[in-house]
Amino acid sequence: MLFGLRLGLRRPDAAFGLRRPDAAFASQPPDAALEARDLTLGYHHGIVLHNLHLSVRSGRVLALAGPNGAGKTTLLRSLARLLRPRQGIVLLDGRDVWRFSERDTARRLGLVPQNEAAEWPLTVEQVVMLGRAAHRGWFMPYTAADHRAVDDALAQTGLTPLRARLLTELSGGERQRVLIARALAQEPAAILLDEPTAQLDLRYQAAVLGLTRRLAHERGLAVVVSLHDLNLVALYADQVALIADGGLVAEGSPADVLTPDHLQRAYGVPVAVGRHPVYGTPLVMPVMEG
Amino acid sequence: MTATTIRSCSRPIWPLAVGLAGLLAVGLVLSLGVGAVSVAPGQVLAVLWAKARGTAAAPAQLTIIVWDLRLARALLAIAIGAGLAAAGAAYQAVFRNPLADPFVIGASGGAALGAAGAIITGRLPVVPAAFAGAVLAVVAVYLLAQTGGRPSAINLLLAGAALSTLLSAAVTLLMFLNDRALHEVFAWLMGGLAGRSWPHLAAAGPVILLSIAGLWALARPLDALTGGEESAQSLGLNLMRARFAVVAAATLATAAAVAAGGIIGFVGLIVPHIGRRLGGGAHAGLIPLSALAGGLLLLVADDLARTVVAPVELPVGVLMALIGAPFFLWLLKRG
Repeated sequence: MLFGLRLGLRRPDAAFGLRRPDAAFASQPPDAALEARDLTLGYHHGIVLHNLHLSVRSGRVLALAGPNGAGKTTLLRSLARLLRPRQGIVLLDGRDVWRFSERDTARRLGLVPQNEAAEWPLTVEQVVMLGRAAHRGWFMPYTAADHRAVDDALAQTGLTPLRARLLTELSGGERQRVLIARALAQEPAAILLDEPTAQLDLRYQAAVLGLTRRLAHERGLAVVVSLHDLNLVALYADQVALIADGGLVAEGSPADVLTPDHLQRAYGVPVAVGRHPVYGTPLVMPVMEG
Repeated sequence: MTATTIRSCSRPIWPLAVGLAGLLAVGLVLSLGVGAVSVAPGQVLAVLWAKARGTAAAPAQLTIIVWDLRLARALLAIAIGAGLAAAGAAYQAVFRNPLADPFVIGASGGAALGAAGAIITGRLPVVPAAFAGAVLAVVAVYLLAQTGGRPSAINLLLAGAALSTLLSAAVTLLMFLNDRALHEVFAWLMGGLAGRSWPHLAAAGPVILLSIAGLWALARPLDALTGGEESAQSLGLNLMRARFAVVAAATLATAAAVAAGGIIGFVGLIVPHIGRRLGGGAHAGLIPLSALAGGLLLLVADDLARTVVAPVELPVGVLMALIGAPFFLWLLKRG
């Protein structure tokens, strides 16, 4: 079940949802679940991303790719209403995300953070249950509806047999799925994942990204996922935003974005791009220098 | 509520909680019997029963020993142990730091300075001065830790450490300059319940009970905070408000406990770890379990403190470490 990749369903349609900067203020497609307009982000010491435009529709997987330090996590934090933009606006369901409270945001948007601490002895079910606070509040007792949502999130992620296990006893891949289940329990319209495959072996990479893809294509969630591995981007994403040097290098379908030219511009090293032997999607390999 | 709580705990909490409460009740009755005059448990119960019904069935001398001399002190020991353990559990979650204790953001230093000032000047009552010192120190740390209008967890810890150092240096200096009050201040600093009675319990007990109830009510935000602050925020938690509520409740419990019993270490650091090992990390179970275990531990430690080498009283904090540390090490080894 974890390996239901459904790669045969890839449609090379043109509705990338990603829009080029010059089209930024054109009329908005009504189904953009999450959109960044003219977004400039930074911390105390300076600007990380300049005047970025992108959007993702319901039912689509948008991958954020780019070298270390390009600002993928910064962008995700801003989309998740954890970092205020210096300039520009993040629209969630067509509304400025900063007009929402934390709880309003959490009802619409789930975040799967990278390297979340797991040294606390909470059970899988207790952690996933926290996703219900967005709906039930922080003080009211959970209801049957909350338990149903948690049961469903556990079933979706294949965690039902592990529900009574402690988070501290799980493997990295299992913990990643717990965090996805917690986000699902929020019953959001969009879900953000920060490097969900970092430190996972091949099997769990496929399992986690296959699950992510199913959530978008079968459940209609808008998904934004940052990924280091460009071959995983090519396989699992519907659209890619390649970020480097404070802005977008390219955006569009994996086949359009993952070209030797774009990748050399983003990473500063020569790469070769071949074809996946089964799916024909781009296959990115480094070229040895010297 | 109960069904939900049972379902959301890694192990069933209620048998543990009921067991600990039973132990606490038995411990209380036995505690009231031990001391310079031994009173059999049956007689203790008879005195309590007579007092509760307002009759004078029990001998007056036993009533004085059990009710007037021992009961308030025993209840105060339970309240202080419970309050410190619950506050420690809450701080460990908020700071995601297993070494956090109720004094981690300056409460002990402030209380010590307040108490030392009151003892040395002789013009202020010690209990309110210590309480005010503890609260003011935490308020100062909270304000000092603000950068850009919000205190970060690491700033709170660092400001707490810095201010604690400053305040204890001030206390040491005061003691050095006023050697006549040296012994009294030192005895207060070591913590203990000698001579504590109903007025102390009436002042500290309700504050501690309400604070524990507040921390228990904050169990779900505390659970969310164990995954990290941004993660908690992404779950819909208003981080600033939640942290303020936790720090406020934990500080009130700590300040009341310290004001009534002096600086009693260890219980707030170790008991939450015992609680997590017994009943898991979810705070709906951890806060009450820690409170019960902390109350029991301090009750037993105080019994030993006043009886082992009677009529001399040993510092209760020392005895508690002597009982609690081996027990905790045994738990650690058991895994």
